Amino acid sequence: MAVTEHVAADVRGMTLPDAWRSFRTAIGLGWAIESNWSDPFLFAVYTLAKPLAAAMILVLMFQVVTGGSNTEFLQFLIVGSALWNVVFGVMAGLVQSILEDRERYRMIKYVVVTPTSLFPFLLGRSLARVLISLVAVALTLAVGVFLLGVELRPQPLILIPSMIIGMLAVLALGIFMAGWCLQLRQEAWSYPEAIAGGLYLVSGAIFPIDILPTFVQPIAYALPTTWWLEASRRGLIGHGSPGQLGTIPDGTVMLILVATTAITVPLALLAFAWFMKRARQAGLLDMITGS
Amino acid sequence: MSGYRGTRAGNAQEAAEWSTGRVVANNLRSIVGRAFPRVIGLTREPSWIFFEILLPFLAVSAFVFVYRALEAPEEYIGFVVLGGAVTAFWLNVVWMMAAQFYWEKDQGNLELYFTAPMHLMSILAGMAIGGLVLTSSRAIAVIGIGTILFGVTYNVQEPFLLAAVFLLTMVPLYGLGMLFASLFLLWGREAFHLAQLLQEPIYFLGGVNFPVRALGAVSGLVVAVLPLAVGLDAMRQLAFPGPISQGLLPVGTEMLILGAMAVIFLVSARFALAYLEHLARREGRLTLRWQ
Repeated sequence: MAVTEHVAADVRGMTLPDAWRSFRTAIGLGWAIESNWSDPFLFAVYTLAKPLAAAMILVLMFQVVTGGSNTEFLQFLIVGSALWNVVFGVMAGLVQSILEDRERYRMIKYVVVTPTSLFPFLLGRSLARVLISLVAVALTLAVGVFLLGVELRPQPLILIPSMIIGMLAVLALGIFMAGWCLQLRQEAWSYPEAIAGGLYLVSGAIFPIDILPTFVQPIAYALPTTWWLEASRRGLIGHGSPGQLGTIPDGTVMLILVATTAITVPLALLAFAWFMKRARQAGLLDMITGS
Repeated sequence: MSGYRGTRAGNAQEAAEWSTGRVVANNLRSIVGRAFPRVIGLTREPSWIFFEILLPFLAVSAFVFVYRALEAPEEYIGFVVLGGAVTAFWLNVVWMMAAQFYWEKDQGNLELYFTAPMHLMSILAGMAIGGLVLTSSRAIAVIGIGTILFGVTYNVQEPFLLAAVFLLTMVPLYGLGMLFASLFLLWGREAFHLAQLLQEPIYFLGGVNFPVRALGAVSGLVVAVLPLAVGLDAMRQLAFPGPISQGLLPVGTEMLILGAMAVIFLVSARFALAYLEHLARREGRLTLRWQ
């Protein structure tokens, strides 16, 4: 069923309180679904074991090869591995929220036809997963500091703006992915993992981007995630990545982060608006792919 | 549609009394029937092939680049590629064996399985055989592409023994999947979290990207319960003989452990299914969706 765009002239538009109410309600819903009404202790174990294990894999790889020397690389690994939880949490959160609501709970069409917009609902609905990913970041860093001897040298002037700007960029990528996945007939569930996996590979999350094949490196330099990770590393541990990226001055890194984010955010919002328009016209909002 | 061509029964009692041959033939048909969609899916769902090769390959590439950044010996690259291939089987076990009954319940197929005149072990065996064939194509692709792109060299002196170890690894691996299929169904909504829990933590404990012996004291426990770790350790010893691949135990001993695991997991799966059937008939609750 296609949802038409005709709006009567006397219908008031969505106000800020409407959006806030929708956002707030969606947060509660997202949390209930995410925690799956499970035992809080078990939920905590499930949630935290995954990122910790992912970091420990890298730590053991590092240990078997270096025997524990080259602690600068260990710091690089731990911070990259910790921060990547945010990217995956945001991407998976936004995409899976929109797909679950369309395919499993089959209520996205009802949200779309209500006076409120899908956008604040979608952000609220996925916030639970984003918050869980932030907990995973903190936990991985804590393990790095207390068990592996990672030395944090926070520089708030770099860390705070880089986290805010970087999160904006990652959210924009997630919003773009959510709109894109609405258009897909099959395998939409696999896209966030595939895209996040691709970004993981080229953003220098766990190895310096100099290691990548030469033809991939320009892609790495064009991504806001690369610059967010680099700026955050400098803000957290006081130095950048090993290799070429680490030689770029802090100011330039921040500037490029701002520039790539300033390009990514409006493009993603425009794309999402177009994807939603197409989804309404093509009747994709109540499509069940069975995938 | 029944393919049975027996004589017409005189009454209901007589119709319910099946000969052993008929029971065996019916269960064999069930195995083939359940394996069929997975095997035929190889040609009918090309997008699956893309994602199931791409996703493990992205992870494999990231870990290979970490080892390259650490200037690790080339054997470690081979470890990662082999680990990536075995990971494809593990993912198949988790998502298409362990969680499968839960999805079947959501889709309304489970009650059909319970009421059909066949043993549920036949359904699980069909899922396992189909999954094994399906995933073999992915694993071969990961090994092939990984070998070519990353220049992995193997030194297999006993190819038949390596093949035997691989097959012997698959039996307890899918046996564990059969056991989990019943347990996931009993644990209900926790299924999704459990499936998540069985990924990175198991990759870590299974030594998918590093030698199992690097786990130290934990490796003893791992060898006792995790066929993935034992099989991978034995396969690495046979594919990359040398000091770096020195296994936790001799290959012969690991094969004995795998054999014992196969028996234990398959028998446990049989008991778990019997309990599940008992619950399904007594409470009639296991086929309720969203539980």
